[in-house]
Amino acid sequence: MIFREVEDRDLIAKARQGDVEAYNLLVSRWEKRIFNYLLRLVSNREDALDLGQETFLKAYQNLRKLDDPARFSAWLFRIAHNEAFSLLRRRKPENELSEPRPRDFGSRMLPIELSLAVESALKTLNEDQREAVLLKVYQGFKFDEMAEILECPVSTVKSRLYTALDLLKATLAPAVFRKDGRIVL
Amino acid sequence: MSCKLQDGRPDWKAYTLGELDAETRQEAEDHVAACSECQDELAGLRVTLDAMATLRDEELPRRIAFVSDKVFEPRWYERVTQAFLRPSFAAAGLIAGAILVHAFVRPAVMAPNAAQVDTRAIEARVTAEVTERVQREMAAAVNTAVTKAVADTEKRDDQRTARLLSATEQRYSDAADFLNKQVTRIYALNTGAGVR
Repeated sequence: MIFREVEDRDLIAKARQGDVEAYNLLVSRWEKRIFNYLLRLVSNREDALDLGQETFLKAYQNLRKLDDPARFSAWLFRIAHNEAFSLLRRRKPENELSEPRPRDFGSRMLPIELSLAVESALKTLNEDQREAVLLKVYQGFKFDEMAEILECPVSTVKSRLYTALDLLKATLAPAVFRKDGRIVL
Repeated sequence: MSCKLQDGRPDWKAYTLGELDAETRQEAEDHVAACSECQDELAGLRVTLDAMATLRDEELPRRIAFVSDKVFEPRWYERVTQAFLRPSFAAAGLIAGAILVHAFVRPAVMAPNAAQVDTRAIEARVTAEVTERVQREMAAAVNTAVTKAVADTEKRDDQRTARLLSATEQRYSDAADFLNKQVTRIYALNTGAGVR
């Protein structure tokens, strides 16, 4: 991770001097993570791809404004966050009609069913809670980095994340624990 | 059995998410060894996070466009803005400004009296001088180029002739050697010399 940061810094410096290949390399490094983050947030592949494209385009256009290249990942996710929530706000009336409900996944489940259950459980969270889970559990950001991406205090980040974890635990833990107390994963 | 620490219980979510420092982490581990309520909470969180780990990243259906692609090209107003911000443009602007300032602040005596100046005569003289100079320089340049081309051609021809001559001499020499050998051989056959 340290080496990666150093190399990203080099690539950013080169891209700032007009080296397009350096920026293309940055895109290829981060596109999968950005795509999956956006996909879980907006739940639509085409939208996630379009938003990813916009994210990298805006990052390219504003690369000179990035104060600290070591914070590139948080800065990039901040742009992706803005793009995603801009779309989610436009979609809002449609979403409110079809709010997903928590489901009972039963007491025993195969691994493939479990991943579907996780996907479904994530959709029952509100957007802020889901995003907090995505950034922490799936993207591995620290609380302070999340606060930077979401532009809110660390206490707000923790509150959203902890509530989300309680909801997910209530939905998923019974699906994993068998009646005899053993774990199925 | 309920946890005796209650409000002071370890933050198990921060623990499982790797956000505790080493000391706090150790304290939490010491506590959980003897607290069944905290053991249950920790187990529930671990199971939840393990279940979440079964959800894998998806591959991109197609790659994000590269910078060289159309979509990354700046819009016309961005190109204009960027052009104005370039150092070369700034330098050119500075020079233009300096010329303007010089034109306004130079001594008045330097300025010719407009009434005394015959602009047509000056224009004609300048045009004639420029035309004559251009023609002279053009002729000199053409002359130099032609001389060089002729010299190069002659040099190439000389080299080719020398190569052909050398090859012909070699072939003539080889043929003569061959003929001499044949004559010597026929002579030997006819006279019996060298035949054993």
